[in-house]
Amino acid sequence: MTEAKTPMIDARDVRKTFGDFQALKGVSLAVDQGEVVCLIGPSGSGKSTLLRCINHLEVPDSGNIEVDGQPVGYTTTDGRSRRKSSREIAQMRSQIGMVFQMFNLWPHISAIENVALGLTKVKGMPVEQAAEIARTQMDRVGLAQKCDAFPEHLSGGQRQRVAIARALAMEPKVMLFDEPTSALDPELVGEVLNVMESVAADGMTMIVATHEMGFARKVADKVVFMDDGNDVETGAPDKAFDAPESERLRRFLNRVLA
Amino acid sequence: MDLDFSVALTYLPVMLKATLLTITLALVTQTLGTSIGFVFALGRTSRSRILRFVVWAYVWLFRGTPVLLHLFFVYYAAPLFGVTLDAIPAAIIAMTLSSAAYNTEILRAGIQAVHPGQVEAAEAVGMRYSRIVRHVIAPQAVRIVIPPYMSNFISHTKNTSLASVITVPELMLTSQMVYSSTYRAIEILTVAGLIYLLLTSCLTGLQLWLERRTSYEARGMSRRRRAIFLGKAPASAPREA
Ligand SMILES: Nc1ncnc2c1ncn2[C@@H]1O[C@H](COP(=O)(O)OP(=O)(O)OP(=O)(O)O)[C@@H](O)[C@H]1O
Ligand SMILES: [Mg+2]
Repeated sequence: MTEAKTPMIDARDVRKTFGDFQALKGVSLAVDQGEVVCLIGPSGSGKSTLLRCINHLEVPDSGNIEVDGQPVGYTTTDGRSRRKSSREIAQMRSQIGMVFQMFNLWPHISAIENVALGLTKVKGMPVEQAAEIARTQMDRVGLAQKCDAFPEHLSGGQRQRVAIARALAMEPKVMLFDEPTSALDPELVGEVLNVMESVAADGMTMIVATHEMGFARKVADKVVFMDDGNDVETGAPDKAFDAPESERLRRFLNRVLA
Repeated sequence: MDLDFSVALTYLPVMLKATLLTITLALVTQTLGTSIGFVFALGRTSRSRILRFVVWAYVWLFRGTPVLLHLFFVYYAAPLFGVTLDAIPAAIIAMTLSSAAYNTEILRAGIQAVHPGQVEAAEAVGMRYSRIVRHVIAPQAVRIVIPPYMSNFISHTKNTSLASVITVPELMLTSQMVYSSTYRAIEILTVAGLIYLLLTSCLTGLQLWLERRTSYEARGMSRRRRAIFLGKAPASAPREA
Protein backbone atom coordinates (compact mmCIF):
# COMPACT_ATOMS: atom_id res chain seq x y z
CA MET A 1 0.00 0.00 0.00
CA THR A 2 1.61 3.23 -1.07
CA GLU A 3 0.21 6.62 -0.28
CA ALA A 4 1.17 9.59 -2.34
CA LYS A 5 4.12 10.79 -0.30
CA THR A 6 4.05 14.43 0.70
CA PRO A 7 7.47 16.03 0.64
CA MET A 8 9.08 17.04 3.94
CA ILE A 9 9.71 20.50 2.57
CA ASP A 10 7.44 21.79 -0.13
CA ALA A 11 7.96 25.31 -1.45
CA ARG A 12 5.79 26.47 -4.30
CA ASP A 13 6.21 29.57 -6.40
CA VAL A 14 7.93 31.58 -3.65
CA ARG A 15 8.42 35.24 -4.43
CA LYS A 16 10.26 37.84 -2.42
CA THR A 17 11.20 41.42 -3.22
CA PHE A 18 13.39 43.81 -1.27
CA GLY A 19 12.29 47.32 -2.19
CA ASP A 20 12.02 47.01 -5.94
CA PHE A 21 14.62 44.26 -6.20
CA GLN A 22 13.22 40.79 -6.89
CA ALA A 23 15.33 38.33 -4.91
CA LEU A 24 13.04 35.35 -5.58
CA LYS A 25 10.97 35.29 -8.73
CA GLY A 26 8.82 32.22 -8.14
CA VAL A 27 10.95 29.39 -6.80
CA SER A 28 9.61 25.89 -6.24
CA LEU A 29 11.39 23.14 -4.39
CA ALA A 30 10.32 19.81 -2.96
CA VAL A 31 12.48 17.81 -0.59
CA ASP A 32 11.50 14.34 0.52
CA GLN A 33 12.13 12.98 3.96
CA GLY A 34 15.77 12.03 4.36
CA GLU A 35 16.76 13.72 1.15
CA VAL A 36 19.74 16.06 0.87
CA VAL A 37 19.36 18.94 -1.54
CA CYS A 38 22.23 21.25 -2.41
CA LEU A 39 21.46 24.76 -3.58
CA ILE A 40 24.13 26.10 -5.85
CA GLY A 41 24.33 29.29 -7.83
CA PRO A 42 26.16 32.57 -8.08
CA SER A 43 26.27 35.13 -5.32
CA GLY A 44 23.04 37.08 -5.08
CA SER A 45 20.99 34.38 -6.80
CA GLY A 46 18.64 34.05 -3.83
CA LYS A 47 19.88 30.94 -2.02
CA SER A 48 19.98 32.55 1.41
CA THR A 49 16.68 34.29 0.84
CA LEU A 50 14.99 30.98 -0.01
CA LEU A 51 16.38 29.28 3.10
CA ARG A 52 15.35 32.22 5.26
CA CYS A 53 11.83 32.08 3.83
CA ILE A 54 11.58 28.40 4.76
CA ASN A 55 11.98 29.15 8.47
CA HIS A 56 10.18 32.46 8.18
CA LEU A 57 13.16 34.70 9.01
CA GLU A 58 12.02 36.39 5.81
CA VAL A 59 8.33 36.61 5.03
CA PRO A 60 7.72 35.73 1.39
CA ASP A 61 5.51 38.08 -0.63
CA SER A 62 3.63 35.17 -2.14
CA GLY A 63 3.84 31.46 -2.65
CA ASN A 64 3.35 28.59 -0.30
CA ILE A 65 5.85 26.82 1.92
CA GLU A 66 5.06 23.71 3.91
CA VAL A 67 7.30 21.77 6.25
CA ASP A 68 6.06 18.29 7.14
CA GLY A 69 2.66 19.22 5.77
CA GLN A 70 2.34 22.34 7.92
CA PRO A 71 2.19 25.69 6.14
CA VAL A 72 4.93 27.99 7.35
CA GLY A 73 3.71 31.37 8.53
CA TYR A 74 0.05 30.61 7.98
CA THR A 75 -2.41 28.35 9.66
CA THR A 76 -5.88 27.28 8.62
CA THR A 77 -8.68 26.94 11.10
CA ASP A 78 -12.24 26.18 9.97
CA GLY A 79 -11.23 26.70 6.37
CA ARG A 80 -10.00 30.22 7.04
CA SER A 81 -6.33 30.96 6.85
CA ARG A 82 -4.63 33.49 9.09
CA ARG A 83 -1.09 34.54 9.92
CA LYS A 84 0.54 32.51 12.62
CA SER A 85 1.12 34.18 15.95
CA SER A 86 4.68 34.78 17.07
CA ARG A 87 4.26 31.85 19.44
CA GLU A 88 3.23 29.54 16.62
CA ILE A 89 6.06 30.76 14.41
CA ALA A 90 8.57 30.15 17.19
CA GLN A 91 7.15 26.67 17.74
CA MET A 92 7.46 25.92 14.04
CA ARG A 93 11.02 27.23 13.90
CA SER A 94 12.05 24.93 16.73
CA GLN A 95 11.47 22.06 14.29
CA ILE A 96 13.62 23.60 11.58
CA GLY A 97 17.34 23.67 12.33
CA MET A 98 19.38 26.44 10.75
CA VAL A 99 23.12 26.82 10.42
CA PHE A 100 24.44 30.19 9.36
CA GLN A 101 27.47 31.22 7.37
CA MET A 102 28.79 33.33 10.27
CA PHE A 103 28.00 30.65 12.94
CA ASN A 104 26.11 33.17 15.10
CA LEU A 105 27.05 31.49 18.35
CA TRP A 106 26.15 33.42 21.48
CA PRO A 107 29.48 34.72 22.78
CA HIS A 108 28.48 35.20 26.41
CA ILE A 109 27.98 31.51 27.21
CA SER A 110 30.12 28.41 26.78
CA ALA A 111 29.83 26.08 23.81
CA ILE A 112 27.75 23.52 25.67
CA GLU A 113 25.41 26.21 26.98
CA ASN A 114 24.93 27.39 23.40
CA VAL A 115 23.75 23.90 22.60
CA ALA A 116 21.55 23.61 25.68
CA LEU A 117 19.86 27.03 25.64
CA GLY A 118 17.14 26.14 23.15
CA LEU A 119 16.32 22.98 25.09
CA THR A 120 15.71 24.84 28.32
CA LYS A 121 14.18 28.03 26.95
CA VAL A 122 12.14 26.63 24.06
CA LYS A 123 11.41 23.07 25.08
CA GLY A 124 11.30 23.91 28.77
CA MET A 125 13.55 21.01 29.64
CA PRO A 126 15.16 20.78 33.09
CA VAL A 127 18.71 22.02 32.86
CA GLU A 128 20.32 18.69 33.84
CA GLN A 129 18.50 16.86 31.07
CA ALA A 130 19.38 19.60 28.57
CA ALA A 131 23.03 19.37 29.64
CA GLU A 132 22.98 15.63 29.06
CA ILE A 133 21.64 16.05 25.53
CA ALA A 134 24.04 18.90 24.84
CA ARG A 135 26.98 16.73 25.90
CA THR A 136 25.80 14.01 23.54
CA GLN A 137 25.55 16.47 20.68
CA MET A 138 28.94 18.02 21.42
CA ASP A 139 30.35 14.50 21.28
CA ARG A 140 28.55 13.82 18.03
CA VAL A 141 30.29 16.78 16.35
CA GLY A 142 33.62 15.71 17.84
CA LEU A 143 33.90 18.45 20.43
CA ALA A 144 33.37 16.61 23.69
CA GLN A 145 36.59 18.18 24.97
CA LYS A 146 35.48 21.72 24.19
CA CYS A 147 32.23 21.87 26.14
CA ASP A 148 33.41 24.60 28.50
CA ALA A 149 35.14 26.74 25.86
CA PHE A 150 33.67 30.10 25.00
CA PRO A 151 33.04 30.75 21.30
CA GLU A 152 35.89 33.22 20.96
CA HIS A 153 38.34 30.53 22.05
CA LEU A 154 37.23 28.16 19.29
CA SER A 155 38.42 27.98 15.70
CA GLY A 156 35.95 28.75 12.92
CA GLY A 157 35.48 25.08 12.14
CA GLN A 158 34.84 24.28 15.79
CA ARG A 159 32.35 27.14 16.08
CA GLN A 160 30.43 25.89 13.10
CA ARG A 161 30.35 22.40 14.56
CA VAL A 162 28.95 23.81 17.79
CA ALA A 163 26.33 25.64 15.72
CA ILE A 164 25.40 22.34 14.08
CA ALA A 165 25.18 20.66 17.49
CA ARG A 166 22.99 23.51 18.70
CA ALA A 167 20.57 22.95 15.82
CA LEU A 168 20.63 19.15 16.10
CA ALA A 169 19.93 19.24 19.83
CA MET A 170 16.43 20.53 19.10
CA GLU A 171 15.75 17.31 17.12
CA PRO A 172 14.52 19.23 14.11
CA LYS A 173 12.62 17.61 11.27
CA VAL A 174 14.82 19.36 8.74
CA MET A 175 18.14 21.18 8.72
CA LEU A 176 18.93 24.22 6.62
CA PHE A 177 22.58 25.13 6.03
CA ASP A 178 23.38 28.54 4.58
CA GLU A 179 26.90 28.36 3.18
CA PRO A 180 28.21 26.75 6.35
CA THR A 181 31.82 26.66 5.19
CA SER A 182 32.14 29.92 3.26
CA ALA A 183 33.59 31.85 6.19
CA LEU A 184 36.18 29.19 7.02
CA ASP A 185 39.85 28.89 6.24
CA PRO A 186 40.29 26.16 3.61
CA GLU A 187 41.93 23.74 6.02
CA LEU A 188 38.91 23.91 8.35
CA VAL A 189 36.28 23.22 5.70
CA GLY A 190 36.73 19.45 5.77
CA GLU A 191 35.88 18.93 9.44
CA VAL A 192 32.57 20.74 9.02
CA LEU A 193 31.67 18.91 5.81
CA ASN A 194 32.45 15.59 7.51
CA VAL A 195 30.00 16.38 10.28
CA MET A 196 27.36 17.40 7.75
CA GLU A 197 27.92 14.21 5.81
CA SER A 198 27.39 12.14 8.94
CA VAL A 199 24.21 14.07 9.73
CA ALA A 200 22.99 13.30 6.21
CA ALA A 201 23.93 9.65 6.65
CA ASP A 202 21.77 9.55 9.78
CA GLY A 203 18.79 10.31 7.57
CA MET A 204 18.28 14.03 8.22
CA THR A 205 16.35 15.99 5.63
CA MET A 206 18.70 18.77 4.55
CA ILE A 207 18.94 21.77 2.29
CA VAL A 208 22.47 23.03 1.92
CA ALA A 209 23.34 26.25 0.13
CA THR A 210 26.97 25.77 -0.76
CA HIS A 211 29.83 26.56 -3.06
CA GLU A 212 31.45 23.19 -2.23
CA MET A 213 30.80 21.32 -5.45
CA GLY A 214 32.67 18.26 -4.22
CA PHE A 215 30.32 17.96 -1.26
CA ALA A 216 27.27 18.48 -3.48
CA ARG A 217 28.36 15.76 -5.85
CA LYS A 218 29.16 13.31 -3.09
CA VAL A 219 26.34 13.86 -0.60
CA ALA A 220 23.41 15.47 -2.42
CA ASP A 221 20.48 13.46 -3.71
CA LYS A 222 19.45 16.44 -5.76
CA VAL A 223 21.10 19.65 -6.85
CA VAL A 224 19.16 22.83 -7.47
CA PHE A 225 20.85 25.51 -9.50
CA MET A 226 19.58 29.00 -8.79
CA ASP A 227 20.30 32.08 -10.80
CA ASP A 228 18.85 35.54 -10.62
CA GLY A 229 16.00 34.58 -8.29
CA ASN A 230 14.92 31.54 -10.30
CA ASP A 231 15.37 27.81 -9.81
CA VAL A 232 16.90 27.24 -13.20
CA GLU A 233 17.68 23.55 -13.12
CA THR A 234 17.06 20.67 -10.75
CA GLY A 235 18.56 17.24 -11.07
CA ALA A 236 20.69 14.43 -9.69
CA PRO A 237 24.25 15.61 -9.02
CA ASP A 238 25.78 13.45 -11.76
CA LYS A 239 23.44 14.87 -14.29
CA ALA A 240 23.66 18.46 -13.08
CA PHE A 241 27.43 18.45 -13.01
CA ASP A 242 28.25 16.24 -15.97
CA ALA A 243 25.41 16.94 -18.35
CA PRO A 244 23.81 20.25 -17.43
CA GLU A 245 20.82 21.13 -19.55
CA SER A 246 20.79 24.87 -19.27
CA GLU A 247 23.36 27.17 -20.73
CA ARG A 248 23.46 29.20 -17.50
CA LEU A 249 24.38 26.20 -15.34
CA ARG A 250 27.05 25.18 -17.84
CA ARG A 251 28.59 28.64 -17.68
CA PHE A 252 28.38 28.70 -13.88
CA LEU A 253 30.10 25.32 -13.59
CA ASN A 254 32.81 26.36 -16.00
CA ARG A 255 33.48 29.34 -13.80
CA VAL A 256 33.54 27.61 -10.41
CA LEU A 257 35.19 24.36 -11.46
CA ALA A 258 37.82 26.02 -13.61
CA MET B 1 41.51 83.76 56.32
CA ASP B 2 40.51 81.65 59.27
CA LEU B 3 38.62 78.45 58.76
CA ASP B 4 36.55 76.85 61.45
CA PHE B 5 35.45 73.33 60.71
CA SER B 6 33.85 72.91 64.12
CA VAL B 7 30.77 74.54 62.59
CA ALA B 8 30.68 71.80 60.02
CA LEU B 9 30.90 69.23 62.77
CA THR B 10 27.99 70.81 64.60
CA TYR B 11 25.83 70.73 61.52
CA LEU B 12 27.03 67.34 60.26
CA PRO B 13 23.93 65.46 61.49
CA VAL B 14 21.70 67.89 59.59
CA MET B 15 23.77 67.51 56.48
CA LEU B 16 23.82 63.74 56.73
CA LYS B 17 20.06 63.71 57.00
CA ALA B 18 19.94 65.82 53.83
CA THR B 19 22.36 63.38 52.22
CA LEU B 20 19.86 60.63 52.87
CA LEU B 21 17.33 62.58 50.83
CA THR B 22 19.90 63.13 48.08
CA ILE B 23 20.59 59.39 47.96
CA THR B 24 16.89 58.55 47.95
CA LEU B 25 16.20 61.03 45.19
CA ALA B 26 19.06 59.70 43.08
CA LEU B 27 18.21 56.04 43.59
CA VAL B 28 14.47 56.37 43.11
CA THR B 29 14.67 58.47 39.96
CA GLN B 30 17.51 56.43 38.49
CA THR B 31 15.56 53.21 39.10
CA LEU B 32 12.37 54.59 37.61
CA GLY B 33 14.30 56.20 34.76
CA THR B 34 16.07 52.92 34.01
CA SER B 35 12.85 50.90 33.98
CA ILE B 36 11.11 53.37 31.72
CA GLY B 37 14.28 53.72 29.64
CA PHE B 38 14.41 49.94 29.16
CA VAL B 39 10.86 49.78 27.86
CA PHE B 40 11.49 52.83 25.68
CA ALA B 41 14.71 51.33 24.33
CA LEU B 42 12.74 48.25 23.25
CA GLY B 43 10.26 50.62 21.60
CA ARG B 44 13.07 52.51 19.95
CA THR B 45 14.42 49.28 18.44
CA SER B 46 11.03 47.77 17.57
CA ARG B 47 9.67 47.21 14.10
CA SER B 48 6.87 49.70 14.65
CA ARG B 49 7.65 52.99 13.00
CA ILE B 50 5.16 54.87 15.18
CA LEU B 51 6.63 53.47 18.36
CA ARG B 52 10.13 54.34 17.22
CA PHE B 53 9.03 57.89 16.44
CA VAL B 54 7.20 58.42 19.72
CA VAL B 55 10.22 57.33 21.72
CA TRP B 56 12.56 59.36 19.55
CA ALA B 57 10.39 62.45 20.09
CA TYR B 58 10.38 61.87 23.85
CA VAL B 59 14.15 61.67 23.98
CA TRP B 60 14.47 64.69 21.71
CA LEU B 61 12.29 66.76 24.02
CA PHE B 62 13.63 65.75 27.41
CA ARG B 63 17.27 65.51 26.47
CA GLY B 64 17.04 68.78 24.60
CA THR B 65 15.83 70.88 27.51
CA PRO B 66 17.49 71.59 30.88
CA VAL B 67 16.64 69.53 33.94
CA LEU B 68 16.35 72.80 35.83
CA LEU B 69 13.50 73.77 33.54
CA HIS B 70 11.79 70.39 34.04
CA LEU B 71 11.95 70.92 37.78
CA PHE B 72 10.35 74.35 37.65
CA PHE B 73 7.90 73.22 35.03
CA VAL B 74 6.59 70.19 36.90
CA TYR B 75 6.47 72.14 40.14
CA TYR B 76 4.62 75.17 38.79
CA ALA B 77 2.60 73.54 36.00
CA ALA B 78 1.08 70.80 38.14
CA PRO B 79 -1.65 73.09 39.56
CA LEU B 80 -2.81 73.80 36.01
CA PHE B 81 -3.76 70.13 35.84
CA GLY B 82 -5.63 70.36 39.10
CA VAL B 83 -2.98 68.90 41.38
CA THR B 84 -0.56 70.58 43.68
CA LEU B 85 2.64 68.70 44.08
CA ASP B 86 4.96 68.91 47.00
CA ALA B 87 8.54 69.69 46.14
CA ILE B 88 9.81 66.14 46.59
CA PRO B 89 7.24 64.38 44.37
CA ALA B 90 7.70 67.13 41.79
CA ALA B 91 11.45 66.58 41.84
CA ILE B 92 11.00 62.82 41.52
CA ILE B 93 8.78 63.27 38.47
CA ALA B 94 11.03 65.82 36.80
CA MET B 95 14.24 63.90 37.40
CA THR B 96 12.66 60.62 36.30
CA LEU B 97 11.60 62.24 33.04
CA SER B 98 15.13 63.23 32.14
CA SER B 99 16.72 60.08 33.52
CA ALA B 100 14.38 58.04 31.30
CA ALA B 101 15.45 60.00 28.25
CA TYR B 102 19.16 59.43 28.83
CA ASN B 103 18.75 55.80 29.82
CA THR B 104 16.67 55.12 26.72
CA GLU B 105 19.60 56.14 24.58
CA ILE B 106 22.18 54.30 26.64
CA LEU B 107 20.19 51.05 26.71
CA ARG B 108 19.30 51.33 23.04
CA ALA B 109 22.98 51.51 22.18
CA GLY B 110 23.52 48.31 24.18
CA ILE B 111 20.67 46.48 22.49
CA GLN B 112 21.83 47.52 19.05
CA ALA B 113 25.42 46.53 19.75
CA VAL B 114 24.31 42.89 19.90
CA HIS B 115 24.85 41.45 16.44
CA PRO B 116 21.55 40.84 14.62
CA GLY B 117 22.80 37.41 13.58
CA GLN B 118 22.68 36.33 17.19
CA VAL B 119 19.07 37.35 17.50
CA GLU B 120 18.34 35.46 14.29
CA ALA B 121 20.09 32.38 15.61
CA ALA B 122 17.88 32.55 18.69
CA GLU B 123 14.79 33.00 16.52
CA ALA B 124 15.86 30.05 14.38
CA VAL B 125 16.05 27.86 17.48
CA GLY B 126 12.46 28.87 18.24
CA MET B 127 13.01 31.33 21.08
CA ARG B 128 10.37 34.00 21.56
CA TYR B 129 11.36 37.65 21.73
CA SER B 130 10.99 38.05 25.48
CA ARG B 131 13.31 35.07 25.98
CA ILE B 132 15.75 36.41 23.42
CA VAL B 133 15.90 39.72 25.25
CA ARG B 134 16.42 37.95 28.55
CA HIS B 135 18.96 35.32 27.51
CA VAL B 136 20.74 36.66 24.43
CA ILE B 137 20.46 40.45 24.23
CA ALA B 138 20.47 41.55 27.86
CA PRO B 139 23.53 39.63 29.08
CA GLN B 140 25.63 41.08 26.29
CA ALA B 141 24.07 44.53 26.32
CA VAL B 142 24.57 44.91 30.06
CA ARG B 143 28.29 44.65 29.69
CA ILE B 144 28.47 47.15 26.86
CA VAL B 145 26.22 49.54 28.70
CA ILE B 146 27.90 49.62 32.11
CA PRO B 147 30.44 52.43 31.48
CA PRO B 148 28.04 54.94 29.87
CA TYR B 149 25.24 53.92 32.22
CA MET B 150 27.35 54.49 35.31
CA SER B 151 28.71 57.79 33.99
CA ASN B 152 25.17 58.94 33.54
CA PHE B 153 24.22 57.65 36.98
CA ILE B 154 27.04 59.70 38.47
CA SER B 155 26.06 62.92 36.76
CA HIS B 156 22.43 62.21 37.58
CA THR B 157 23.36 61.92 41.25
CA LYS B 158 25.08 65.29 41.16
CA ASN B 159 22.12 66.76 39.30
CA THR B 160 19.86 66.04 42.26
CA SER B 161 21.39 69.23 43.67
CA LEU B 162 19.27 71.12 41.14
CA ALA B 163 16.18 70.10 43.07
CA SER B 164 17.25 72.70 45.62
CA VAL B 165 15.69 75.35 43.40
CA ILE B 166 12.20 74.04 44.11
CA THR B 167 12.92 73.83 47.86
CA VAL B 168 13.70 70.13 48.13
CA PRO B 169 15.81 70.02 51.30
CA GLU B 170 18.52 67.80 49.83
CA LEU B 171 22.20 68.22 50.50
CA MET B 172 22.80 71.34 48.42
CA LEU B 173 19.87 73.35 49.74
CA THR B 174 20.60 72.26 53.29
CA SER B 175 24.22 73.33 52.92
CA GLN B 176 23.12 76.73 51.66
CA MET B 177 20.78 77.16 54.59
CA VAL B 178 23.49 76.16 57.03
CA TYR B 179 26.11 78.55 55.69
CA SER B 180 23.75 81.47 55.29
CA SER B 181 22.99 81.29 58.99
CA THR B 182 26.56 80.50 60.09
CA TYR B 183 28.52 82.47 57.48
CA ARG B 184 30.84 79.50 57.10
CA ALA B 185 30.33 78.91 53.38
CA ILE B 186 33.79 77.50 52.61
CA GLU B 187 33.70 74.97 55.42
CA ILE B 188 30.15 73.82 54.73
CA LEU B 189 30.67 73.65 50.98
CA THR B 190 33.86 71.65 51.50
CA VAL B 191 31.99 69.13 53.60
CA ALA B 192 29.14 68.99 51.06
CA GLY B 193 31.67 68.47 48.29
CA LEU B 194 33.30 65.63 50.19
CA ILE B 195 29.93 63.99 50.74
CA TYR B 196 29.12 64.19 47.00
CA LEU B 197 32.54 62.79 46.24
CA LEU B 198 31.93 59.91 48.60
CA LEU B 199 28.61 59.12 46.92
CA THR B 200 30.03 59.22 43.41
CA SER B 201 33.05 57.18 44.53
CA CYS B 202 30.68 54.46 45.66
CA LEU B 203 29.20 54.48 42.16
CA THR B 204 32.65 54.31 40.60
CA GLY B 205 33.38 51.32 42.79
CA LEU B 206 30.10 49.73 41.79
CA GLN B 207 31.06 50.24 38.17
CA LEU B 208 34.37 48.43 38.61
CA TRP B 209 32.65 45.57 40.38
CA LEU B 210 29.97 45.28 37.69
CA GLU B 211 32.53 45.36 34.91
CA ARG B 212 34.47 42.56 36.50
CA ARG B 213 31.35 40.53 37.21
CA THR B 214 30.07 40.75 33.66
CA SER B 215 33.27 40.01 31.80
CA TYR B 216 32.30 36.52 30.77
CA GLU B 217 35.42 35.59 28.78
CA ALA B 218 37.73 36.34 31.63
CA ARG B 219 35.66 34.50 34.21
CA GLY B 220 34.67 31.46 32.20
CA MET B 221 31.88 29.25 33.48
CA SER B 222 30.93 29.53 37.10
CA ARG B 223 31.46 26.50 39.32
CA ARG B 224 27.74 25.96 39.54
CA ARG B 225 27.34 25.95 35.77
CA ARG B 226 30.36 23.68 35.37
CA ALA B 227 28.85 21.21 37.77
CA ILE B 228 25.58 21.17 35.84
CA PHE B 229 26.84 21.22 32.29
CA LEU B 230 30.06 19.27 32.47
CA GLY B 231 28.77 16.80 34.98
CA LYS B 232 31.76 17.35 37.21
CA ALA B 233 31.90 17.94 40.91
CA PRO B 234 32.39 21.66 41.44
CA ALA B 235 35.41 21.23 43.69
CA SER B 236 37.46 19.29 41.16
CA ALA B 237 36.52 21.51 38.24
CA PRO B 238 39.66 22.54 36.39
CA ARG B 239 39.89 26.15 35.31
CA GLU B 240 40.81 26.81 31.75
CA ALA B 241 41.35 30.08 29.96
N1 LIG C 1 17.35 42.29 3.65
C1 LIG C 1 17.66 42.59 2.37
N2 LIG C 1 17.44 43.83 1.89
C2 LIG C 1 17.72 44.14 0.61
N3 LIG C 1 18.24 43.29 -0.28
C3 LIG C 1 18.47 42.03 0.12
C4 LIG C 1 18.21 41.63 1.46
N4 LIG C 1 18.54 40.33 1.59
C5 LIG C 1 19.01 39.95 0.38
N5 LIG C 1 18.97 40.96 -0.52
C6 LIG C 1 19.36 40.90 -1.92
O1 LIG C 1 18.73 39.80 -2.51
C7 LIG C 1 19.61 39.16 -3.42
C8 LIG C 1 19.68 37.71 -3.13
O2 LIG C 1 20.38 37.56 -1.92
P1 LIG C 1 20.76 36.18 -1.26
O3 LIG C 1 21.48 36.50 -0.02
O4 LIG C 1 19.55 35.33 -1.16
O5 LIG C 1 21.76 35.57 -2.34
P2 LIG C 1 22.68 34.30 -2.20
O6 LIG C 1 22.36 33.44 -3.35
O7 LIG C 1 22.55 33.72 -0.85
O8 LIG C 1 24.12 34.91 -2.41
P3 LIG C 1 25.49 34.59 -1.67
O9 LIG C 1 26.11 33.44 -2.38
O10 LIG C 1 26.27 35.85 -1.83
O11 LIG C 1 25.18 34.31 -0.23
C9 LIG C 1 20.94 39.87 -3.32
O12 LIG C 1 21.08 40.73 -4.43
C10 LIG C 1 20.84 40.67 -2.07
O13 LIG C 1 21.53 41.89 -2.20
MG1 LIG D 1 23.81 33.67 0.84
